[in-house]
Amino acid sequence: MGFAELWKTYGGDYLVALLTTWQLTAISFVFVMILSVLVTVMRVCPIKPLRVVGDVYVQIFRNIPGVSLLIICVYALPFLKVLLDYRTCVIVTTILLGSAFGSENFMSGINTIGVGQIEAARSLGLTFTQILRKIVIPQALRSAVLPMTNLLIAVMLTTALGSQVPLSPPELTGLVSVINTQVSGGITTFFISALGYALSALAIGYVGNAIDKRVRILR
Amino acid sequence: MSDATTSMRDALYEAPGPKTRRRIRFWTFVSLLLVAWGVWAIIRRFYVTGQLSPKYWLFFTRWTTWRFLLQGLMGTIEVAVTSGIIALVLGLLLMLGRISSNRVLSAVCHVVINFFRGVPSLLLIYFFFLVIPQYGIKMSSFWMIALPVALAASGVLAEVFRAGMNAVPRGQTEAALSLGMSPMHVKLKIVFPQALRMVIPSLVSQLVVVVKDTTVAYVVSFPDMLQNARVLITNYDALVSTYFVIAIIYILINYGINQLSVYLARRSGTRIVARTSENPM
Amino acid sequence: MATTMQDEGKQTPVIELRDVDKHYGDLHVLKNINLEVDKGEVLVIIGPSGSGKSTLCRTINRLETIDSGQILIEGKPLPQEGKELAAMRAELGMVFQQFNLFAHMSILDNVTIGPIDVLGVPKEKAQAEAMELLKRVGVAEQASKVPAQLSGGQQQRVAIARSLAMHPKAMLFDEPTSALDPEMINEVLDVMVELARQGMTMIVVTHEMSFARRVADRVVFMADGQIVEEGAPDEFFDHPKSERAKEFLESISGH
Repeated sequence: MGFAELWKTYGGDYLVALLTTWQLTAISFVFVMILSVLVTVMRVCPIKPLRVVGDVYVQIFRNIPGVSLLIICVYALPFLKVLLDYRTCVIVTTILLGSAFGSENFMSGINTIGVGQIEAARSLGLTFTQILRKIVIPQALRSAVLPMTNLLIAVMLTTALGSQVPLSPPELTGLVSVINTQVSGGITTFFISALGYALSALAIGYVGNAIDKRVRILR
Repeated sequence: MSDATTSMRDALYEAPGPKTRRRIRFWTFVSLLLVAWGVWAIIRRFYVTGQLSPKYWLFFTRWTTWRFLLQGLMGTIEVAVTSGIIALVLGLLLMLGRISSNRVLSAVCHVVINFFRGVPSLLLIYFFFLVIPQYGIKMSSFWMIALPVALAASGVLAEVFRAGMNAVPRGQTEAALSLGMSPMHVKLKIVFPQALRMVIPSLVSQLVVVVKDTTVAYVVSFPDMLQNARVLITNYDALVSTYFVIAIIYILINYGINQLSVYLARRSGTRIVARTSENPM
Repeated sequence: MATTMQDEGKQTPVIELRDVDKHYGDLHVLKNINLEVDKGEVLVIIGPSGSGKSTLCRTINRLETIDSGQILIEGKPLPQEGKELAAMRAELGMVFQQFNLFAHMSILDNVTIGPIDVLGVPKEKAQAEAMELLKRVGVAEQASKVPAQLSGGQQQRVAIARSLAMHPKAMLFDEPTSALDPEMINEVLDVMVELARQGMTMIVVTHEMSFARRVADRVVFMADGQIVEEGAPDEFFDHPKSERAKEFLESISGH
């Protein structure tokens, strides 16, 4: 199947698939950020049980394969009377996986600040909340820009898990499998989707770099 | 958890005074109750839906079950190791191309590296599973999973290698060049051996990504651990327990690999280059 | 207590340590420390590394806790936590070995954050005063830069200005020149000499013996967590009484 013919038949589907991928990515990433912050707060709080829960959470979702988690969401949870539709399963899986890495990014952002600055802030008479607001959070956020850019790309790639469940409309990876079960689409079917991902990643990386350049903290 | 993490998260708080200590003790108690309640709620959910019934769990006490899973695990390991080796070689070649003084080669390698990094491994698997056969190329299911996983990893590995090369002090290159060595000779004989030593922990940690990617083997019906688990499920009609046990095994394996890489990094005093810690493009 | 001292007609010391003890696990880092620093006095603490002198300095604004004993600031016990502790810290300046400027803020913001956020000084006023201080320590031209763009000596002078902006009752210096290149040590010491001359109450932990001799009202020599000897600088440097002090002075004059 040539490109022209393929595009005529499936062009619209590709655009919808690209938008679906973007949409899954955007929704997931918002929750990834919220959850990352929550988990990070738990991991740095002085209350031991919460710390342990946060650490265990990160270890679980950093190390579980996405497919394994998706399968649990799709097939196992209904037995436990937790019913999520396919789309929600994909998003939940992506969020859980992404937030573990997001929290790691924030943790290393906090680590770059160093004990000395905290002590200096304390010596000036800043209270704990002031230190968090004025010293810790701004620096952690600013040094997390690049890692979070990478995380956004990783989240986008993770939404390809959507190809493992019948989504309608399918996202970019799922569409390749859908088309090729209908016709012999050939290598072009693959490259259009691949280009959709690669160019999106390029754009995200470009924006992330530009932001990082502006907010990066000299050390 | 690295030492730095522990010290910094403690440094956020100062040594508590008596009032703060009381407050922490109170909230520790409350949070313990919450955690206990959460664990209890999950167990209860298993119980009320009948998932704690012995028939779902007892077959895990049988050796045959584990032998079958271990066979699957061997499949997983075979794929992971093969992919890992291919990715290592390919990543190395891509990196060498990327840093070569030949502009065209460097640009091509740059594009290839970013292509493999910017495309989901699942898409690569569909390429080998659905697209390649259309061109009359017959491949065993083993290679249909091993090759895409390797390609996906090679892009990241190339960048890991490059980070290692960049971390070798520039002065050494200058010193070697001033001795009259050729630039490629310097890169291979002086810089690369040191870079390799530095990136070993990072390479090990990338193995986690490879192991995770192998779980898609069921798409091409290759008998890895997850695929064998699906067979178990049909045999024993025990879906929930099996999928949870499998997930835990994967988590433990990957946790082990991660700990190993942290240990290696600490021993050699190097940093782990993760996908998330470098410049994206 | 404070009242009895006033009865004796003596001023309440700005900083007073009574029977202070501290352990790090098995290590006894501070052993029964008793110390008084009067208003306007410059106290220099010297001693071999690991003698506990830095720890001592850091206990005074509770960057380190103590196991037993008492620390009094102008006769009032050092609060253990909360707003009271923060308020007390605001009255004590602290200068660190590693400068510890806030990396994400401009030099000016580093100096104004204390006055604005802790003391509630209006922004314009704080900035005007900060510029004065930066001029005084000789880094006014760098006000809009960030810390990483400054040399170590400049950063340390900014750190001093940051502390001065709080109008502290006393300043604590924890090895302020130990992380500096030799050629930058004097620019920082000069600022400290000037401060001492203007009557600032200071506790200085340092290895700079010439500074101690020139500026100190009193020298305290510490070893193994104890105060071994204290006295006027000339007397201490020329006629040390204890063996430990003699050994120490010989070892550093050797090079």
